[in-house]
Amino acid sequence: MRLGVKVRVSLRHLSSRPFQTISAVFVVALSSALAVMLFLLAQGLRDGLIRAVEPFDLIVGAKGSPYQIVLNTVLLQDVPVGNLKWSDYVSLREDPRVDISVPLAFGDNYRGCPVVGTAEDILRIRGGQPVQQWIDVAEGRWFDKEFEAVLGAQAALESGLLIGDTFRTSHGVVLGEEHDVSFEVVGVAARAFGPYDRAIFVSIESVWESHDHDDDDGEEEKDEGEVTAILVRPATYPDAYSLAVSFQHDTERQLVFPAQTAIRLFSLMGSGERFLSIIVYSVAACSLLTTLLVLYWSNRDRRRERALLYALGAPRGTLVTISWIEGTFTLAIGALIGELLGRAGVYAAFHLLGDATAIDLSAPMTIHEAVIPIIMLAAGSFGGFLIALSERTGDSASLKIR
Amino acid sequence: MNAFVTPFLEIKELRHDYRQPDGSYAQALRLDHLLAARGEALAVTGPSGSGKTTLLHILAALIRPTCGEVLFDGHDLFAAGHSAARWRSLSVGYVFQEMNLLPDFSVLENLLLAAEISSVPKSDAGERADSLLHRLDLWDHRYSRPSELSLGEQQRTAVARAVIHSPAVVLADEPTASLDAENAGVVMDLLMGLCAESQTLLIAATHDEAMKKRFERVVNLRRPVPAAVGPELVSSREVI
Repeated sequence: MRLGVKVRVSLRHLSSRPFQTISAVFVVALSSALAVMLFLLAQGLRDGLIRAVEPFDLIVGAKGSPYQIVLNTVLLQDVPVGNLKWSDYVSLREDPRVDISVPLAFGDNYRGCPVVGTAEDILRIRGGQPVQQWIDVAEGRWFDKEFEAVLGAQAALESGLLIGDTFRTSHGVVLGEEHDVSFEVVGVAARAFGPYDRAIFVSIESVWESHDHDDDDGEEEKDEGEVTAILVRPATYPDAYSLAVSFQHDTERQLVFPAQTAIRLFSLMGSGERFLSIIVYSVAACSLLTTLLVLYWSNRDRRRERALLYALGAPRGTLVTISWIEGTFTLAIGALIGELLGRAGVYAAFHLLGDATAIDLSAPMTIHEAVIPIIMLAAGSFGGFLIALSERTGDSASLKIR
Repeated sequence: MNAFVTPFLEIKELRHDYRQPDGSYAQALRLDHLLAARGEALAVTGPSGSGKTTLLHILAALIRPTCGEVLFDGHDLFAAGHSAARWRSLSVGYVFQEMNLLPDFSVLENLLLAAEISSVPKSDAGERADSLLHRLDLWDHRYSRPSELSLGEQQRTAVARAVIHSPAVVLADEPTASLDAENAGVVMDLLMGLCAESQTLLIAATHDEAMKKRFERVVNLRRPVPAAVGPELVSSREVI
């Protein structure tokens, strides 16, 4: 019998029992989708975080949790640990071991976009691929006086502000009480492929001034002359470690290697990921078992049909092939739908997460994501073959009328 | 007896035993000798359990006998190197009592699938199927599933399927047992007519007295007895 005819017979068998077939495809698709989603989410978050951390060689911040400093400074999430004095920045700027130091002041926002008080030196920081200059101006110009603002690429989209527009910032990381002073948009930054795409850059003096202005009204505490964190690019690698040693016994400040902190974060995430993996593998194994049971019972149901084909002269190999195609086709369709569902789920999750954090989340197609669907397909196909083989006999007893 | 000048089928000392659950063997069939020629129509009769179906299964090489020889054109059906599947697909047409057709396939597909298994070229199979469907009055039902057909139509389809590849022998196991007298007559007329036209040997197991009369020879099998005493061959009209 030609292969095309065997395939047609198999497909006809599958289509004649739509509930069984769809159930089997559904369980395989669901478990494959879960596996693909887990893999891609973990991979995408890891890669996105690595890209976000790349411009930050060292961060100097107030004593506290290094994770919180990374969350706050790199990802622009959570609240700052505390503030540093302006003199801390000045001393680092003049330290020969430091190539570039950039003051960063957080704590205000405009419609949820964080306001970052900083200095022009931020334009000298270089990011990784695909960005060479981390923060660059795409439209308009960089601010050169107080109360001028440059919008991050995402912030420009989210806020709807255009060059020449004015706006008022609010205190806090989300909404909050408006400051009295207005900022004018003078430029829009190019995409930085990270959380700083949601930032609104202003001079650090503007931050102080806006708080001062409020303070004049007696509504806010005075925090002039303070910075939240200092982004440091050391002159050389040994200088980075020398700086770390300098901060080792400091009781008010700390120096953080964001990459190391991120790695520790991954390792914490890894434990959860492993636990989730066990669940996903278990689900995949259960669905595989269910599918094989469906195939087994389907094969048993077809004993008489197989016996008829055998009596008509179909060799046993043909009967095994027809059963095997049925099983493999069911699994392959399930695995394919699972892969597509998994990818769709991940893109939806990335879209939501990306909008909220501006982490550049992407999941390039890799063979690793398909490991579970492929294992399921291979194991199921082999299992289906064994079932087909065990039921291969178009035994003559099945031809008798009972 | 001119038909035996060139015997197409020869059976010698055929015996088949079944293994029982307690490990002992029960004799299911014993046939000492049988000759048949191409184009003959032979009825095999006997009570239930006398080995009628077993004999047909052996002739279709679906089961291997415990001992004895089955020769077609002088060649042992169970000789080493002889492919049973090839024998069935090319040389045998089989008609069962009922539930004979593949339920998920239409009448036409049932015929074409049988032709495909028998390696009939696609164009020839189409022509042959069309001709049989017209002749057996099934043309209007060619796209119907077996469940949409009457029992008589199902058996006519089974007859068409059994002869679509022009086999050398057609084996029919109680082909009319599920049919009323009128339909049984139609099916047997068609089956015997088609076999006679193509010089196909027809062997039909039946216990229907009316059917037996249609055959030129009847082989009567007796229910096997315990121990070594097997069914004896009794021919009611012809002595073999």
